[in-house]
Amino acid sequence: MNQIIAMTAAASLLLAFGLWLMLPRGASVGRSLGTLLVAVSLGLFASQVPRLGSWANDAVFLILAGVTVLAAVATVTFRSPVYSAIWFALSLLGTAGLFLFQGAQFLGVATIVVYAGAILVTFLFVLMLANPDGHAFYDRLSWAPKLSAFTGALVVGILTLTVAGVFQNPQSENRPKELIAAAALESNILAEQHMAHMGAELFSKYLVAVEVAGTLLLVALVGTVAIVAQIRKPAHGGGPSHG
Amino acid sequence: MDEVALLQNYLVVGAFLFGIGLVGFFSRRNMIVIFLSAEMMLQGVSVSLVAWGRFHNNWGGQMLVIFILTVAACEAAIALAVVLTLFHKGGSLDIALWQQLREDNQPAYVDHEVPEGDDAEKRWPRLTPSGIEPEPDLEDLTHRAHV
Repeated sequence: MNQIIAMTAAASLLLAFGLWLMLPRGASVGRSLGTLLVAVSLGLFASQVPRLGSWANDAVFLILAGVTVLAAVATVTFRSPVYSAIWFALSLLGTAGLFLFQGAQFLGVATIVVYAGAILVTFLFVLMLANPDGHAFYDRLSWAPKLSAFTGALVVGILTLTVAGVFQNPQSENRPKELIAAAALESNILAEQHMAHMGAELFSKYLVAVEVAGTLLLVALVGTVAIVAQIRKPAHGGGPSHG
Repeated sequence: MDEVALLQNYLVVGAFLFGIGLVGFFSRRNMIVIFLSAEMMLQGVSVSLVAWGRFHNNWGGQMLVIFILTVAACEAAIALAVVLTLFHKGGSLDIALWQQLREDNQPAYVDHEVPEGDDAEKRWPRLTPSGIEPEPDLEDLTHRAHV
């Protein structure tokens, strides 16, 4: 256990330094070193978690997880918002792959469909609004890059340690006692008729929630129109200095 | 497949997505990138929920993710409307323009160093000269429109 703690702490520190070097700080020094540090830290984290059992499963999972996390790092560290949006789309594709790997087929496809629309709109916004090339000075500066990189790495480290502590400590009281048999999984959540099972669950047990979600969509639509309609009105001494 | 190991792997990936989104949300200054970082944190939570749902052989996790997708769509619409409004009022996507919304006891943020562009961006393209050099138009050179 002590070894796991030491390894996780080292990996988190590497992650923090790498993220700090990669974030835009005015100068573009050390970006490649930061990428290397983040990659090494990801390798350390990957060596800490248990393997899935067969090498094919391991390979698929590690590739998907690596693509997802590396694209996420690139999303927050690239200066140009256009590249950020593209990397975010790649990260979403990785997440959709992870969903498929878990047997959540509907969610994998829905993630791609819903977010692809959202990303496309974001993309249009970036192209419409400003400096897509990252030439703006605010794309080259960050708020407190050191502090935020260390905070993020701390969150990752603590979460990983907690998970490892619960699952790998045989004496832990929270350790899951019995496993669900594969046959039970295949008759319920991994059943062949995935959509039929999911639809039956969604429109029976969660029917009220579906209605609430529909209302939420309507309210968001009306709210968006109301917000954008403010632009058309004559400004009452607007501008950032007056609010 | 080892279900416990699968759950642990997915929880670690979810933690990574959440933490990296957190870093982006805290440190970036472009409103659009901040919005993308918030979406990334939602993705991290979704990955964890799907993994827990499979571990417990329960549809609850996937149902929650469906509703997360719904809320994320609403959030995207409203966030982009707000970004558009702020851009019209401030003329820039810089979130620091709106720092008068901070708490009373917080000092104002001032940009101490405004970085110059890279040298590569300042270099102008050069065209290869071709053909004979045209005669300079004297009248055009000496013409002064505003005297």
